[in-house]
This record gives sequence, structure tokens and C-alpha cells, in this order.
Amino acid sequence: MKNNSVAEMTAEQTLSENDLLIEQAYEAMANGGESPTEIKNTKSPSKWEKWKQNFKRRGWILLFILPALIYVFIFCYGPMYGILVAFQDYMPGDKIIGSGTQWIGFGNFKTFFSDPNFGTYFLNTFLLCILGFLVGFPLPIIVALLLNSVRPKKIKKGLQILYYAPHFISLVVLVGMLKLIFGSDGLLDQLSIKFGGDANGLQLFLKPEAFRPLFIFSGNWQDFGWSAIIYLAALSGVDPALHEAAKVDGASRFRRIFSVDLPAILPTIVMLMILSIGNLMSCGYEKVLLMQTGGNLETSEILSTYVYGGLMSGQYGLSTASGLFNSVINVALLVIANFTSKKLANQSMW
Amino acid sequence: MKKAIIGIAVAVIWFAVVISYTVIATAGKGDEDGHEFTVLTVKEETVKDYNTMPVFKALAKETGKDVYWTYNTSTQYSNNTDPVGLSGIDAIYHSNFSNLQLYNYGSRGRIVAIDQYLKYMPNFSKILDERPDIWEALKSPDGHIYSLPRVEEMGLKTHPNLLFLNKAWVEKLIDSNNMPSEVSSLTKSDLVDGLTLKRSQFKAILQKFKDTHSESDIPLSFVSGCWQGNESDLIASFGVPENTQHKTIVDDKIIFTVESENWYNAIKELNDWYNKKLIRSTAFTQTQDEFLAKGQDGRYGSFYWWEKETVVSSDLQDDYIMLQPLVDDATGKQYVGLSNELEIEKGACVILSACHDKEGLLSYFDKFFEPLYSAQLNYGSIDSGAFEKQKEGEKLVPNDDHGAQSADDFRMKNAPYGVVYLTQEVWDNYVEMEPRAKLRLERLDVYLQNNAFDNIKAIPNLNYTKDELDTLHRYENSLGKNITSWMINKITSSGSPSVSDWQSFLKTNGTSISKIKEVNQRAYDSYLEATNSSN
Repeated sequence: MKNNSVAEMTAEQTLSENDLLIEQAYEAMANGGESPTEIKNTKSPSKWEKWKQNFKRRGWILLFILPALIYVFIFCYGPMYGILVAFQDYMPGDKIIGSGTQWIGFGNFKTFFSDPNFGTYFLNTFLLCILGFLVGFPLPIIVALLLNSVRPKKIKKGLQILYYAPHFISLVVLVGMLKLIFGSDGLLDQLSIKFGGDANGLQLFLKPEAFRPLFIFSGNWQDFGWSAIIYLAALSGVDPALHEAAKVDGASRFRRIFSVDLPAILPTIVMLMILSIGNLMSCGYEKVLLMQTGGNLETSEILSTYVYGGLMSGQYGLSTASGLFNSVINVALLVIANFTSKKLANQSMW
Repeated sequence: MKKAIIGIAVAVIWFAVVISYTVIATAGKGDEDGHEFTVLTVKEETVKDYNTMPVFKALAKETGKDVYWTYNTSTQYSNNTDPVGLSGIDAIYHSNFSNLQLYNYGSRGRIVAIDQYLKYMPNFSKILDERPDIWEALKSPDGHIYSLPRVEEMGLKTHPNLLFLNKAWVEKLIDSNNMPSEVSSLTKSDLVDGLTLKRSQFKAILQKFKDTHSESDIPLSFVSGCWQGNESDLIASFGVPENTQHKTIVDDKIIFTVESENWYNAIKELNDWYNKKLIRSTAFTQTQDEFLAKGQDGRYGSFYWWEKETVVSSDLQDDYIMLQPLVDDATGKQYVGLSNELEIEKGACVILSACHDKEGLLSYFDKFFEPLYSAQLNYGSIDSGAFEKQKEGEKLVPNDDHGAQSADDFRMKNAPYGVVYLTQEVWDNYVEMEPRAKLRLERLDVYLQNNAFDNIKAIPNLNYTKDELDTLHRYENSLGKNITSWMINKITSSGSPSVSDWQSFLKTNGTSISKIKEVNQRAYDSYLEATNSSN
């Protein structure tokens, strides 16, 4: 186990191995005074036995993860049987497994994949999410690194608060603000008309090509400060001695960011990257729905809004099927990302 | 340690309070116990309690049935994924179920097939005998009727748009000698309801409005895609029977208006109107409420709406005149399409299978179809002053004068709507239409007098098979979105849409269009067969 993020577990294990060795040494001495290493060589207990012994002594510690386990099973695994609805002609009130259940196999999937707009929805989802990821992932890292090298504490704190304050604006309010600024008769349009632009203004909310930039940049504006916090926390763990040493060696500030700070938070970055790749195809439907207009449907209709539309019109099976499809893609992406990172950077979740 | 214990105790008590509150809130709702029937209705808080409405008291007295009305607001109701699963209720009034929902619930036996109880429903079965189109409209794919209808035939809904022009603004143009050359012969005495203008003349006037007014005044407004006051009649003036679904019947053939070259010409021209700022982008983004709020102080040069009374404040009513439909410059004719808004609505009431006495409850609801009850359900109870005092045997006349309250407000609070049967026969013999409806009919007579479309029909409630329903669901949703977005994009783009743009748009959506046409045509043909054969 070389994984840093599970460092505690590794430490725990090393400790217990040591304990075990010492115990064995005492036993051995009591038996005849041979050296512990020799004993280990001659009579090494199997891994299983070690585990068993260990469990007997400290097994109760496992109880601490019980609440989390129960939570996960009740709220995450429990409801999962609901994906069966994807293979049914389901109405609320039907039994999910029962005599009256109307199984239709892959019927819902067929309907979904044969939707003439399926390709567009898929591409829209993919582009919206991947572009959001490409912009939104590095941004907080850069911000955290820069913030970390601000020296005056007050300014650093002030900036940090300023950056993460927008996170607390509710989505509806945020989209309302966007519409006031970029929408029909909004601030931007008024300005552009004043300064001799197109007589009708820019009408960004009606332009399909403006939807993605608006969505992504407003989202990042709202969240970059908040996402930077975790990197800042990781950065605070960097040993000042490293910085001192680098300074003595004549490293510039910029150089220190690259050679000291960045390597220090690399494990965090990789872990968060794997996690966000696992969520790549799910960029929440609420904000998309709020920003949707007749004019930008061409780019703003994505898989999750399609699912929402299906639910609203009572097509529960179809919605579940398309939701399941989305999740399967997410899981595949997660596995690929984890595998790649394991091979390339020797960092992985499992 | 002590602090920790106190903390835990507080948390436990808090949880207990929250949980017991939710249990109490969900469990002990209403006092439906001890009544023969409990019916769930969907109404807003401002509407009076049905249990106190005189019309329901009269119904109870006449039928001897003890019906208790409980309610959900429309928000509560739409948040409930399975209203049919609610316990303790026998029926849902204003259920608003779609074709697919009715069929799905019905075929699973969760709501009652009403056609099996017709012998307990003399009024309803008489209606079905006389009106095969109503029977046809209510039928589900399996041939059963799963809901009671709402039938209100005034002939108003098929034409949800009228065009109004700001007379005061035109008079100002005449006074300042600023009239465009296209309408130079127009005098003040011409500015009366029913004025006829060519589209090019109308455009010239709008252009003057734009040039002589500030940014906050709007030459032409409407609410795109709304069921009333949309752009359909403007597009139709190019000679294509447009409606918001872009789908209609011409010579008994289902057609899509978007396939017509006239439709493309209309979009191209609207793009020009947009770029000349005669139409604003808000016409495509605003809601009804926003449209109505902006119109109150007379900021519109012209607008499409159901009526002018709701759009403009009462002191400015005389500033606006109703125009006839715009005359197409190319053909010299007036064209008006038909909306597919139907006067026979399904889903006004469904009976749940859990109901212990279906015959009894249905015989109660059967009374709703009688003219005097229908009228009261639609306008408010006689005993609450909804109608003027009349002698025995005279027609009911809706009362317009409710003191400080407007007629609209009174009706909203006092009329339950829902299951009614109001047809020409009822208007002729039992009830007068309300003054607003009569005024609108008069206006429609003028508006439609020269309509050149005499071969078009609105699409009736068609009866699809289960497979057809699925096909429609598959294609209609995405086609609707594609058309809306293409149309709005092209109208609001700075460049004019080319023929090849339009053709490639048709090509992309060709499959959807032909599938939907095919299914609708099949269903419409059998509709024709069914309604003709039983006549």
C-alpha cells in the first residue's frame, strides 16, 4: 500500500505488525532464548492467522465504521433495486417485483436510444460536462497555489472569503442574476445598445452557442473559491523547512510553487480528479433547466433534463433507463480513470 | 462528559420532535371519517371550500349522497407521483391525467372503467348516445372510458388570438403628418374595430412606432408558444394554417405547417421584423404574467391576445382597436389557422377502484351534466349570487356586478369548474354566456369573416393504440423541441434564414414528422369512420 490518502491505515498495519513481532519475540525468549528474527524465519504465521489474532485483540475498533456502513446500505444500496424499473412499464403504485409487474426487457432502452435526438442529447451532455471539467478542475488548484503564496495573512483571508462567498448563492438566485445581466433587456444588452452594438442586443439566453460558456463560467465563478479550500488545506501541511531549504538554494517564488507546493498536493489532485471523472456525465439538471429557453434548446437539452421531462410526463421506466445509462457511463469512466492513474502516476483509489 | 450527554439529549429530543411532527402532519389530515364518499379535488387556497358551496349542498340534497370534499393545491398535487395511491379517497376531481396516464391506471385496474356503469348514469349515457365524437374522444386504447369529461362548447378556444392596434399612437402619427406612405390614405375615422390592413401596411406602421417611440415602447408583442396570444396568426397570414403545435388537418389529411414553403417565408419575414426591432426577443422569452404586466400602461403598439381587457388597464381600453387578420400581400387574402385546444377535455374526474360504492358515486357525478348544475359549477352557485334574479323558466344570466369584486375574481373564488356539459343547446335554452364570452364571440365573427381557410379542421381527441402512444411519446417530445428552437433561433438571428437551412432542418426531422403524421392519420381515419358510421 503506497497510497498516501490511506496513510493512517498503513501506519496502523505497520504498528500491528511490529506489535506482533515483539510478542512473538517474547514468546520465543520464554521458550528458549533464540533471536526473534530467527523465529520469524522458521515459524512465520500465515497472513490469515495474523489477521485473526489481530481481529481478536482490536476487532471492536471496526464498530466505529458501523454507522457509516449502515448509512451507505440503507440510503445507497437499499434503493438500488429501483433500477429494475428501467426494464418495466412502470406506474407509481406498481410493485417493483410482484405478480402484476409488467416486464418489457430492454424496451425502454430501445425507445431511449432510438429517440431521434438521442445523439444530440448525449453530445450536449458530454460537451457541457467535459468543458466544465477542463475549465473547472485546474482553476481551484491555480487559485489555491496563488492564494498560498500571498504573504500578508489578512489579505489572504480576505481574498479567500471573497472567492468562496458566491458558493452560498442559491441556484435560482444565481440564474436570476444571470438573466438580469445577460438576458433579454439585461444589463449587457442595454450597454451594447448604448455603445452602438446590434439594435437587438446580444440576446445571449437565446443563443445556443452562448449557453455552454454562460453555464460553465457562472458555475466556476460560483465554486472555484469553495473547491480551492481542500487544496489550501493540503498546502497547509507542507513542511516550512522545505520552503526554507529551497530559498537557501536560491529558488524563486514561482520555482517553489512548482517544486515544493505542487508535488505536495499532487496526491490530493489525483484523487479529486478520479472522483470528478466519475461524475463527468452528471452535471446537475436544475441549473440547466433554469437556464433553458426555447432559443438555446439545441445545446441546453441534456440527458438529465430528458430524464426530468420523462418523469414529468409519467414515463418512469424511460427516465430510469436513461438515468441508468448515464450512471453506467460514469462508472466506466471512473474505472478507466482509476486504472490509468494507477499505471501512470501510481495513484489510485483501489 | 456532562456537556456531551446534554448535547446528545438535545439531539435526541430534537429528532423526536421532528419525527413526531411529520407523523402527525401526514397522518391526521382532514376529517373525512364518517362521510359516505370522500373526493379529492385540486384547487388553490383562494377558491372557497367546496363543502360550503351551495351548489354542492343542493346536489347532496337532491341525490341524497353524502360527499366530503378534500383538496390539494395544484403544487401539492403535481408533486404527488401517485395520487391514485392516496388512501381514504374515492375519486379525484380535476385529475388532469394525460391519455397515457388514464390508460396506464385504467388498464391496471386502479381507476374505474366508467363505461361499465352507464346504466346508473342516465345523463352521461344520453350524451354519449347523442355525441359519438365525445365517446370517441374519451375512449382509451382498450376501448374503455376512464374519466368524466369537461365539455364547454363556446367556439372560442380554436381561435385564441386577436390582433389589437394602439389607435392613440396612430392618431399621433396622423396629427404629426408622419404616416408612412403605405397607409397615407388612412384617416382617424378609419380607426375602428375591424380595420383591415395589409401585412406590409401593418409593418410600415410598426416601423413608424419604432422610429417615433423610446426603447421601452414595444411595436408588436405576443407570448410565443403560449396557448393564447401567440405568433401563430401572424405566421398564418402567409397562407399556412399555423398553430402552436404546427400540426393541423387540411382536407382530412394531417399536415405539419413547418413543411410548407409559406411557413418558411413567414419565418424569414419575422426575422426581418425582429432585426428591424418591430418584435423584441422578449416575445420569445416572456411569460404570460410578464406580458400582461408590461401592457397595462399602454406600452404596446400592437399585440396578439385573447382579448384586450386583460392586457391594458381599464382607462386605456379605448386606445386600442381590434384589427382583422393581416391581409397577405401576395394573395390579397386573410388566413387564420385553428388551434388544437379542445373543448372536450378528458380527465376532469376519475373514480378510484377503492371506492366502495361506484354506482352511487357515479350517479352523483351524473347530475353534474344537467344544465342547471353545469352552469353553477362553471360560474358559481345560484344561491351565492352568481346569476341575476330570474323568473321560473327563464334563462340563467351570469351576474356581472359583484360590488368591489371583479366578475373574474368572483368566479375564481366561487366556481369549482371541472365536470360540466355546456353546449349550444344549453346556451340556447338554459344559460346565457357571460358578457365577456359574448363580446369575444362578436369579435371573432368580425375577425373570421374573411378567413380564406375553409378546408381546415382542428385535430380532435384521437384514439391511439398503446404502440401508437409510445411512438408519439418517442417522437413528439423531441420534434416539438427541435421546431421551437429552430424557429426562435432563425427569427432572432442577425442573418436571414436560407432555403437550404430550412430544407436541412426538415431533413433532420423528417423521420419524426412522417412517423407522427402516419400515426395521427391512422387514428384520424378511424375517428372519421367511428363518428360517421354512428351518425
